[in-house]
Amino acid sequence: MAAVIKRGVVKGLTVTLELAKIVVPVYILVTFLKYTPVLGYIAKIAQPIMKMVGLPGEASVAIVLGYFTNLYAAIGAIASLNLSSKETTIIATMLLIAHSLPMETAVSKKVGVSGLAMVTIRVILSVAAGAALNLAM
Amino acid sequence: MDWKSFAAEAAGGSLKYVLIMAAIIIPVMIMLELARERKLLEKLAAKTGPVLSIFGMSPEASFPLVAGFLFGISYGAGVIIDSARSGRITVKDMILVNIFLSVCHAVVEDTALFLALGASPLVIITGRLAAAIIITYLASRSIFIRRYGEGTGG
Repeated sequence: MAAVIKRGVVKGLTVTLELAKIVVPVYILVTFLKYTPVLGYIAKIAQPIMKMVGLPGEASVAIVLGYFTNLYAAIGAIASLNLSSKETTIIATMLLIAHSLPMETAVSKKVGVSGLAMVTIRVILSVAAGAALNLAM
Repeated sequence: MDWKSFAAEAAGGSLKYVLIMAAIIIPVMIMLELARERKLLEKLAAKTGPVLSIFGMSPEASFPLVAGFLFGISYGAGVIIDSARSGRITVKDMILVNIFLSVCHAVVEDTALFLALGASPLVIITGRLAAAIIITYLASRSIFIRRYGEGTGG
């Protein structure tokens, strides 16, 4: 029993450490962008698209980070953006359905599924889930 | 630019978040380890096995599916490879398990991460599960997957 709990604590600390290594720098970077006009520009450009899933334009930064790099980077950005709980739930569902796409494409190919097809399907499901939650919540 | 408030927000906010994260993820990891010890996976797989017939899958595929669903792709992949080697799972079922898991894996850990940000865990899991069921169902009915079905008799 004690060994099992110890294993859990070690795993929890490992995940927290891995997460912190990415979340902290991304959080600082996005916070920096908030203090410059850059995030405002990005938000303005992305706003019409993001509106479809009920998210503010700034959230596009987290979506792009999550799709192209990984969940931890997206989490760092979301933490810095002060989204409402509805917006956080929407972006969480979207990102959990589709994330780390370049890396996971390589995995898909190994099991004999077209990487491109899988990416396309996941992004479509991700956006559809976002739009559905925006209407339902 | 207001450097002072930037520094305060960047340092304070990121530290706060890492602490919340640790407070959620460590208990979750202990729970996962306890679940593994109690053979929860075997019990759950036995229950979900018959349901897999809606995807035209055999009940044997439920063990790697449940493993990846709860513990994540890397743990699930180990189980999948093991199942495939021992011939307990067909190629068709293996591909369907992978398609399902690509959309919905490691739900306990992933959901905990977003719980710390203030997202609703129930909505996240339901949304992801619905997306996985839709895509797996469509894939199981596609010509692509039927080709594998003929070869393996599954």
